[in-house]
Amino acid sequence: MKRLLFVFSILLIASMMLGACAKAAPTEAPADVPPADAPTDVPAAELPTTPPPAEGKTVLNVWSFTNEILTMGVAFEKTHPDVDVIYTMIPMTNGEYQTKLMATLGTDAVPDVVALEAAFVKSYVESDFLADLSDMMPLAEELKMYPFVYEVGTVDGITKAYAYQATPGALFYRRSLAKEYFGTDDPVEMQAILGDMDKYVAAAEVVKTKSNGDTFMVASNGDFMNLFYANREQPWVVDDTLTVDPMVDKMVETVKIFRDNGYEAKATQWQEGWFAGMNDSLKDAEGNAKKIFSYFLPTWGLPYVLAPNATSADGASTTVGDWAVITGPLPYQWGGTWLGVMKDTKQAELAREFVRFCTLDEENLTNWATGVYTNEYLKAIDPNVPDDQYQAAGDFVGSQVVVEKITASFDDSELSKFLGGQNSYGGFAAAAPTVNARLMQGSDDAIQRALNDPLNSYLEGTVTLDEMWTLWKDAVRNEFPELIIP
Amino acid sequence: MMRSNYRKNYYGYLFIAPFVIGFLVFGLYPLYNTIALSFTNTTMMKADGAFVGLQNFERLFADKTFFTAITNTWSLWLMNFIPQLGIALLLSVWFTNTRLRIKGGGIWRMLFYMPNLLMPSAIAALYFSLFSYYGPVNQFMVRADLLPEAVDFIRSPDVMRGLVVFIQWWMWFGQTTILIMAGMTSISVSVYEAAIIDGASIWQMFRYVTLPLIKPVMIFILVTSLVGGMQMFDIPFLLTDGRGSPANSILTSNIMMYMRFRSSQGHIGAASAVGVVVFIMTSFVALLIFYLLREKSDKKVKEVRS
Repeated sequence: MKRLLFVFSILLIASMMLGACAKAAPTEAPADVPPADAPTDVPAAELPTTPPPAEGKTVLNVWSFTNEILTMGVAFEKTHPDVDVIYTMIPMTNGEYQTKLMATLGTDAVPDVVALEAAFVKSYVESDFLADLSDMMPLAEELKMYPFVYEVGTVDGITKAYAYQATPGALFYRRSLAKEYFGTDDPVEMQAILGDMDKYVAAAEVVKTKSNGDTFMVASNGDFMNLFYANREQPWVVDDTLTVDPMVDKMVETVKIFRDNGYEAKATQWQEGWFAGMNDSLKDAEGNAKKIFSYFLPTWGLPYVLAPNATSADGASTTVGDWAVITGPLPYQWGGTWLGVMKDTKQAELAREFVRFCTLDEENLTNWATGVYTNEYLKAIDPNVPDDQYQAAGDFVGSQVVVEKITASFDDSELSKFLGGQNSYGGFAAAAPTVNARLMQGSDDAIQRALNDPLNSYLEGTVTLDEMWTLWKDAVRNEFPELIIP
Repeated sequence: MMRSNYRKNYYGYLFIAPFVIGFLVFGLYPLYNTIALSFTNTTMMKADGAFVGLQNFERLFADKTFFTAITNTWSLWLMNFIPQLGIALLLSVWFTNTRLRIKGGGIWRMLFYMPNLLMPSAIAALYFSLFSYYGPVNQFMVRADLLPEAVDFIRSPDVMRGLVVFIQWWMWFGQTTILIMAGMTSISVSVYEAAIIDGASIWQMFRYVTLPLIKPVMIFILVTSLVGGMQMFDIPFLLTDGRGSPANSILTSNIMMYMRFRSSQGHIGAASAVGVVVFIMTSFVALLIFYLLREKSDKKVKEVRS
C-alpha cells in the first residue's frame, strides 16, 4: 500500500509538472522546481511600470517593447490632464513581448494601445484583434505621411495601425578610414564609389588590401540581411507557398563572398564584437586592434545604436565625428514601430486619441524629433519619470510636412557634429519616399530568422548550399505547419 | 464510535482539499486542455479552431526535426544525468562517512547547491559571452597558445552541446547530492555497526547496505530528473538563438513546442501535440522505472509466510 501511494504521488507530481508546463513556459528541472523561474516569465513582472493610477483619472494601458513610447505617454498626459497612461514595457529580445501580448488576446488583460514592431505588425494587422482606424486617413494625408507608414498598417483597404517614424536605411562609414583607403571622405564621392553591390564588393577588397587585413568592410553578415530582403520582388509567401526571390540567392552569394575573402569581421549583430567595432575597441583573439569600415543601419540606428556606442565603455576610444552617412549600394528600409488600438478595449475613444497624438499630431511629431522632450520637460509633467527617460533629437518622423519644416534645424545639431557636419535628416528625407512595404507579411520575421542558422553553417562550410536550403525549409515547416513548402 | 469515525474523515478531506483543488485547477485541467487542443488547429491569432483529428500528430511524425529534437533531449539529459548521479553518490558517501569526518559539511553542501540558485538566463548569458568569437575564452586560449586561432565556439555543435550538458550538470548535481545525503543520513547507524561487526568492507557496506536502503530516494531522483530532463528548455533556449542553433544541435522537444507556440500565428494546437507526445513518452518511461525498480521483497515475504 505504501508503495502504491508513493508511486501515485510521484505520478501526480510528474503529471502536474507536465500539465502545468505544457501551458506555461517550461523549465528544465531534474527535481521539483516550480515553473515560476522560467526566464520568459521574468521580465514583465520585474520591469518598472508607472505607479498605480491617480484617483479620478481615466486609465489608458499602453504596452510596448522599448521605453520610447513612455515619453509620448507622458507628453500625452500634459495635453490630457485627466488621463493616466499606464505604461508596460516587455522586451522582445527572444519574443517575450509577442508571447505576452498574444496570451492576452481575448481576455480582460488586453491592453488598450499596443506598439507593434515591423517583425510582427503584419500578423496583427491581418488578424481581427485590432480596431479599424481608417477614419484617421485624412489626417495622414494632411500631414503627408510617407506611404509606408500607413501601408503596413493596412489590409484589404482598412487601416489599423500608424507609425510615427519612417525608417529608410542607410550606410554609415568611417570618414578617417575612407580618406585613407579611397582618398576622400565626401559623402557624394563615396556614394559614387559604393553605389551598387558590385562596387561595394570591389571596395571591400580595396579596404582589405590597403589595411593589410586590419579593417573589415562590415562587422557581421547580419548587416546585409535587411538590405537584400527589402529589395525582393516577391514576398516570402505567394499563394500559401514558400517562395525564394532571386534577391535572397544574391544575398547568400554576397555574404559568402564576404566571409570567404575575409571582408567580414565574423561578429554577431547586436553582440559585443559588433558594438565594439563602432568605437574602435575591437580586438581579435591575439589582441590586435581591428577596425570596421561601414555599418548598414536605418534612421533609428543613428540615435539609438551608433551614437550611444561610438565611445567605448572606458572612454578610451571614440569615433564621434568620424562618421558619414550615404544611401549605400541599395535603398532599403528596416524596422519601425506602429501603434494600434485593440478591438476589445474599453477605452476605444481615448485609445484612438492616443494613437492620433503619437503618430498624426504635427506638434507632437515636431517635439519628438527636435529634442523638446527632455528629462526635465517630462519630470515637470510627471515627477515619477525615470531619470534616463528622454527623447534625443534626431529620430526620423513619418510626416513629410514635419520633416520639411525641421530638416534645416539639424544643420548644426549634436547629430550633425557626430557625422562630421553632415545633416543626416536631409539624406533620409531624400530616401524616405522610395521606401515601400508592399512585400511585408506577418510570417517574414520567423522565415528570415529560420535562415540564420543554416546560412551560418553554410558560411562555416559545414553544410553545402543545397543542404542549407533543406535545413531552412525544415525549420520553416516547424513553425508554419500549414505552409506549402516546395 | 461511528460518529467519531465520520468526523475524522471529514477533517481529513478538509486538510487535503487545498492540494486536490490546486491539482485539479493547475494540474489536471491544463493537462486535459492540452490534450484537447492537440486535436485542433487552434491559433492565438484566430478566435476559433477546428477539430482536425490526428493531423497535428501526423505532421509531427513526418517531421525529421522532431526526431532530432527527441534524440537531443534524451542525449542531453543522459549525458548530464549519469555523471550527475555518479558525482552525487561519491560526494554523499564522503560526506556521510563517519570515518572520514569531513569538516564544514554544511558549507560544502551550500556551495554545491549554489549554482542552482542562479537564474538560468544569467547563466546562459554568461556562458554565451564567455564563448563568443570575440569573447574571453578565445582570447585566453589563443594568447596562451592553446589554440592556433580564434574558434567560433557558438557555431560549433559539439561545443554547444557540451556546454549545455556541463551547465545542466553543474546546476543540478548539488540538488541530487543533497537528496542522496538525506537518504543516507536517515539510515540507522546500528545497521552499519552490525555490518562492521560482521566484517564488511566499505565497498560492501555501500553495495549491500546503503544502496538498497536509499532506493526510494533514487527512484525519486530518477523520476523527477527524467521529468525535468524531458522538459529541458531554459538553458538551450537562452544559450544561442532560441531555435536550437547551431545546426539544431541543442534543439530540445520543449524548444520545438515553444517555437510553434510563439510563431507569428501562435499555433497552440500544433504546440500541444508536441506536449502530448512528450507527456506520453515521459509517463511511459517513468512507469517503466517503477516497474524495474519495484520492491521484490513483498513476494518473498509472502512465500516465507505461506
